[in-house]
Amino acid sequence: MTGQPNNVDRLLTGLESQAEQGEVYAIASESTAISFEAGELKSAQVDETSGVALRAIKQGRVGFTATSGHVDPELLVARAVDSARFGDPTDLTLPGPSRLDKVDTFDQSVADLAQERLVEIGKEIVERLRSADASGNIGVEIERTVARTELANSAGCTVTQRASALQISFSMERVRGDDVLMVGAATAATTLTDEYRALTERVAAHIQAANRPAEIASGRMPVLFSPSGSFVLWLPLLMALNGEHVQRGTSPLAHRLGESIVDAGLTLWDDPTVAGRPGSAACDDEGVPAQRKALIHQGVARSFLFDLKTAALAGTQSTGNGSRSLFSLPSPSAYNLVLEPGETTYAEMLAGISHGLLVHSLLGLGQGNPLSGAFSNPVGLAFVIENGEITGRVKDVTLAGNIYALLSAAPQLSQEREWVYGRYHLPHVLIPELDVVRG
Amino acid sequence: MTLEPLEWALRANSADYCEIRLETRLTTRIVYHGQRLETVSTVVNEGGIVRALSHQGGWGLSTFNNQQDLANRVEQACHHARLVPRREIALAPHPVVIETLPAARPEASQRVTLEEQHALISRYNTILLGHPQIVDTSAMYIDRFVTVSYANSEGTRIIEERPMTEVMLGATARDGTNVQRSGDGSSSAMGHGALLELDELASSVARRARSLLSAETVVGGVYPVICDPRLAGVFVHEAFGHLSESDFVYTNPQAQEMMSLGRRFGGEQLNIVDDGTLEGERGTHRFDDEGTPTQRTPLVQKGILVGRLHSRETAGALGERATGNARATDFRYPPIVRMTNTFIEPQDRTLEQMLADVDLGVYACQAIGGMTMLENFSFSAGYGYMIRGGQVAELVKDVVLAGNLFSTLANIDAIGNDLTFSRTGNCGKGQGGGLPVGIGAPHIRIQDVAMGGRQA
Repeated sequence: MTGQPNNVDRLLTGLESQAEQGEVYAIASESTAISFEAGELKSAQVDETSGVALRAIKQGRVGFTATSGHVDPELLVARAVDSARFGDPTDLTLPGPSRLDKVDTFDQSVADLAQERLVEIGKEIVERLRSADASGNIGVEIERTVARTELANSAGCTVTQRASALQISFSMERVRGDDVLMVGAATAATTLTDEYRALTERVAAHIQAANRPAEIASGRMPVLFSPSGSFVLWLPLLMALNGEHVQRGTSPLAHRLGESIVDAGLTLWDDPTVAGRPGSAACDDEGVPAQRKALIHQGVARSFLFDLKTAALAGTQSTGNGSRSLFSLPSPSAYNLVLEPGETTYAEMLAGISHGLLVHSLLGLGQGNPLSGAFSNPVGLAFVIENGEITGRVKDVTLAGNIYALLSAAPQLSQEREWVYGRYHLPHVLIPELDVVRG
Repeated sequence: MTLEPLEWALRANSADYCEIRLETRLTTRIVYHGQRLETVSTVVNEGGIVRALSHQGGWGLSTFNNQQDLANRVEQACHHARLVPRREIALAPHPVVIETLPAARPEASQRVTLEEQHALISRYNTILLGHPQIVDTSAMYIDRFVTVSYANSEGTRIIEERPMTEVMLGATARDGTNVQRSGDGSSSAMGHGALLELDELASSVARRARSLLSAETVVGGVYPVICDPRLAGVFVHEAFGHLSESDFVYTNPQAQEMMSLGRRFGGEQLNIVDDGTLEGERGTHRFDDEGTPTQRTPLVQKGILVGRLHSRETAGALGERATGNARATDFRYPPIVRMTNTFIEPQDRTLEQMLADVDLGVYACQAIGGMTMLENFSFSAGYGYMIRGGQVAELVKDVVLAGNLFSTLANIDAIGNDLTFSRTGNCGKGQGGGLPVGIGAPHIRIQDVAMGGRQA
């Protein structure tokens, strides 16, 4: 890893001499990536990232600048302080030092992973998918990253966090005449696990099940979402629970903490303490300790996600959810989302459906007006269920509804859960009645 | 700005081909949310990418922020290229060019102050806030000035300035739990001076968010749909454009067969073109990110597939010519096959003529976004109107069109005379959000479009 080009202490001293409060946030990361195209290793890549962001608060106004280049420290401080001329005053107080719990975010064995090992994992995935269908076009990307962030502010908080990450994603495109199948999956963890094997097995099974075509007519029917397919249901909730929307009054859940908003079977946690997950952390990107908390408990809205600024504007405390990239001011974001499982098994749910759909992916998630809870998305990968059995792949159908209504109308959750994109621990979800339109 | 450090570093090249692209990206952002001025910031993102190709291996890449020590980055990329097992990669030839392309901004736009930029976006924000029931706004002024220096081992040397100034306006209207949003924007490579007259655009954004509060969700079903130029442009980008990108077909014989030149995709009146040379559009450049000159590439003529988009690698693999479509979102990414300005050519129909023979249909307007899985795609309109008895009737919301490439293109039965390019539009394609692309179309009418929605 290269040395930090900008001296955090010196920048902080500069900010303190010209503004009431100051904060310096520096990142440095190094990663190795390999990429397979058409089932063969195509490229090997190394990336180095470094940069520093400065926040100055002067007369209650926030100034900000960031750079990944070589900028004179004095100029950088001046730029941050100068931009605080603009902006509206916020009653924002940067946090002092706090005792942080230990959370596993770094694994030396991932830091030490040789490129050859990444290639082996890639080959293993290619082989497994090829055995499911030799005619498919297979892509695999594997990236191993080591990152270090350093935060220091004028209230005396200094936090250095180290994290490792191993991200694996893969896909297959299969073209038969005018029939196209695109399947894929992604996983991430701070440590090397064999999760990718189970994920590859699942995708291989989807590829084989998709060999048989099936049709379904428009109508209202039960729809069983796999953990990855169910994301359409949680995205609007995540947005509505975000302090940014709450504080601006655009969240349908604003002022509704303590009210029942969905079925009592639903309990949703924001959990930074799970070991080894990409969303895990001891504190947020503003130095506020991270906390495990129920966002929805037995259907009742319990907590929003706030960073320092949105909390100040909403007249409350930060929930430790400040998240940032180098070039932007912090904004609220969840850590790992964990949904409590239900009591039925996936097999029981499937067996109970006489005529319906099993949905693994949808197209165009988040387009439209997700904050309202409304969605309308064509299926990517979906199967028809007849008399408790999967009969084949269905295309050209669109699902539409409003998640607040659907999640209040007796949704069922499975006992089994899967990690989706590495940081969402979700069960299968059965929606008893959903509108399906055949195109 | 000099290319000397790049030329010096290229001497360390031990691969068969090597290129260096350095970028300095200076971005000023002024952001209003509601009454609050949230952000005024200037940030500098600096870095580069070295890409090396070894005939004994494959591609080796190195990306970085620190632009010092370029020779080591070149060695690193060459080393990684040799780690890849041997693959047959032959780049299509292209001419060596040596060019310096300064920004074409008028001087007045170059000299604009932060105070003037702030005053402008503040004015638009005030217009948005002036409308009843608007509980939140988002008014963003983004000025980006990118300087790219490029050199490759074949002798091509390019220094290019790529400015882009954008105004993005959004309004949120709320009535109890009913929350509706609307947005629009504009952009120009000419800078501040080209964005001074968006008052009416701001008003229309706020009015529309408010009127969507009383609109019903469209009734799900299969309809004839007339798309406005903005939505038709997104449609041609998503539904067809991505399939014409040769990285989809060049390693996949079945996909090549599906997209074989000479195949009929639409009616006689359907012409689709990608053109990176158009004056002043979002996807316009003299050269792509491999130094290949951009060009006009007909993709569909009279309904027949006649062309496809290439990087040097995909063109080399298929024995065709590079088309100047190798583009990268920024220095963290290698160039891959991307669209420039993609559009449907205009024909002779007026909107009134298209409406006249629709008994029950949807007039879908504006675009929130789109996504394709090659054969199947989805795109979301900002709003729509029902068409009843040949007339535009009530406003409807949650208008999302789903379709199948083959049937939908074939189902275009009328093309308007009013080609319009959108002033907003970015493409993702696996490289993070925003590569500016030009999307254009006239009004088009498509028969039998599936739309999810409420039950009647």
